[in-house]
Amino acid sequence: MEKALVALAAAIAIGLPALATAWAQSKIGAAGGGTLAEKPELSGTIIILVAIPETMVLLGFVVAYLIISR
Amino acid sequence: MIQKMRKVQIIGPRGCLDDCIKALHDAAVVHIESVEAGPQEPFFSRLPMEREKLSEKSYLDKAAERLRNLLALLEPPPSYRTLRVGGGEIRKILDDITPVEERIKLLHARKDELTEELNTVNRYERLLAGFAPIVSRLGGLKNFDIIGLTIEKTREDIAKIIEAEINRITGGSYQLYAKDLDESSIGIVLTYPRQHEPEVRYLLSGKAINEVRLPDEYADMTLINALKQMGRRRGELPRLMEGVEGELNRIANDWYGVMAGLLRAVEDSIDEIGVLTYAAQTRFAFVIEGWVPVDVFEPFKERFLTLFGDRVLVRELEVEEREVQNIPVSIKNPWFLRPFEVFLGALPPPKYGSVDPTLYVALFFPAFWGLIVGDIGYGAVIFGLSLYLRKRFRANNTFRDIFTVLAVSSVAAVFFGFLFGEFFGDLGEKLGILHPLLINRVEALQTLIVLTMGIGIGHVLLGIIIGAVNHLLKGRAKEAVAKIAYLALVVSFLVILGIMFEYLPKGLLTPGAIVLIISFILLTVFEGVLGPLEFVKAIGNIVSYVRLMAVGTASVVMALVANQIGGLSENLVVGIIVAGLIHTLNLMLSVLSPSIQSMRLHYVEFFSKFYEAGGRRYTPFKKR
Repeated sequence: MEKALVALAAAIAIGLPALATAWAQSKIGAAGGGTLAEKPELSGTIIILVAIPETMVLLGFVVAYLIISR
Repeated sequence: MIQKMRKVQIIGPRGCLDDCIKALHDAAVVHIESVEAGPQEPFFSRLPMEREKLSEKSYLDKAAERLRNLLALLEPPPSYRTLRVGGGEIRKILDDITPVEERIKLLHARKDELTEELNTVNRYERLLAGFAPIVSRLGGLKNFDIIGLTIEKTREDIAKIIEAEINRITGGSYQLYAKDLDESSIGIVLTYPRQHEPEVRYLLSGKAINEVRLPDEYADMTLINALKQMGRRRGELPRLMEGVEGELNRIANDWYGVMAGLLRAVEDSIDEIGVLTYAAQTRFAFVIEGWVPVDVFEPFKERFLTLFGDRVLVRELEVEEREVQNIPVSIKNPWFLRPFEVFLGALPPPKYGSVDPTLYVALFFPAFWGLIVGDIGYGAVIFGLSLYLRKRFRANNTFRDIFTVLAVSSVAAVFFGFLFGEFFGDLGEKLGILHPLLINRVEALQTLIVLTMGIGIGHVLLGIIIGAVNHLLKGRAKEAVAKIAYLALVVSFLVILGIMFEYLPKGLLTPGAIVLIISFILLTVFEGVLGPLEFVKAIGNIVSYVRLMAVGTASVVMALVANQIGGLSENLVVGIIVAGLIHTLNLMLSVLSPSIQSMRLHYVEFFSKFYEAGGRRYTPFKKR
């Protein structure tokens, strides 16, 4: 039972930030696509903006790993 | 690195102005600036644009427009040499190409006509196929009119009403043939005595009935003749169009290079007139100012001395404090670092006097990329592909640089592949030719997390140190102290964390805590409340480097999956094909994902510690 709960906790720890990252990237990506149509020279800035929310899922991953490896 | 710049002033008699501008254009090193004239500089006034120059500019503008339009009408030949045209030859060559220009326009008009006719004929193709057999049977009827109609299938009832009405109008002397044309419409061919035409036309003017109207060129023909003619033209038109296109291609082969060279010369001449708006004058002299990189200043001065002797003076001006922010930025690196400048293209240029990060990108980007991919097989394939694509796109500087960076990075991937013992995942290990020298990436996740965080600590701290050193070198004491306090805060926090996780001895706790408190206070004093926030950001930045492990592990697991699925098949060929397909997909992801992640680590985590954007790019006045 405890094993299952640990696995569930780890899944939640990475799953929720993954959803949050996806949601944030969808918004930024849509806006970024529009921006690129107008100003292609901003591609570097857009890549950075799209990649920023990934930190959430990475932190989630680290926490999930800490939970599982306890 | 960012080159040092000198401000130059060129002064000469107004009679030499045109020659001087041409010499500046050929020298191609001066970033020309507008000379301050007016109340601030009472001796200078704006150089007035002479009427001749204005009319010359208007002529050249029109010529450039004309040439651009002409070039747009021609397909560029597969290979051509752009003609070198001198400023003095522009008018003569423009006259020479006038007959060619007329021929091109004529051929294009003809091509448009033929295309339109082909479209019309194609539009009528459906009707042709439906009506032709019926109409050909009625062809011999004299004094009878034949008209074609289409009716929407949903209004099929109208056909019966029409027939009843036509019967009433013509007294029964008519014939009506109906046939399904497609899913949505019915075609009707109606013949009736010509004397009843007005009443029939009036009847057929209803909304749901569409008479088959013929295009203008067929309007005078009977329906049957028009349809026959269209059939003939359908066969002829593609051949005629090919003929026109062939002639246009022949003209392009002979003239594209000439026109492109002429356009370049015209644009250069327009630029030379444009420079006049930046210049100023005194009663007898002209003055031009600009910026020149230090290493070309002396040769530039020598060049002008040789050309004009003592008639034109080139001198260095002292740079005022308020001008420093506006000095254009010229980045020049050794040849082996130059491809990595491509990463700066995506950002606004750095400020003059700040740090050019190309060297650091050249060191860390391939390392991060290689660490993520970490596979001998993938590295070798990407290396080969990069070299091929680099050769293929050698004419395009950006692509050439990107593929050079990728080739260098794939060498790092091969190196890490040896350390991790990976050759297309675990294929090398399964074949017994390879074993992990350092760690097995799938099993040693914790080691990799610690390793990548360690890389993050080093990279982020290096960024802060670069920022601090740059502030110190520029004599910006307050900013330098703030950066050092920031560095001390991050380091002391990491030391305390190290003690908590038992990586460091407990004896460091007291000095660590003291440094933490002092640096926190200093940072808050110098940077305000944003200082501590920056500190929290730096810790987040360090954790962000875990992506080096996460993305790499995802890639290696996918490679393992490819090998496992391939191994499930009993047929060796099928197994290789299946595994190959999954490896190909992983390979494509291996190019894209590590590039984006490594770029992001540089742009967000590293550059944010020292990169000062907002500079102006150095754009010397040079020929196109």
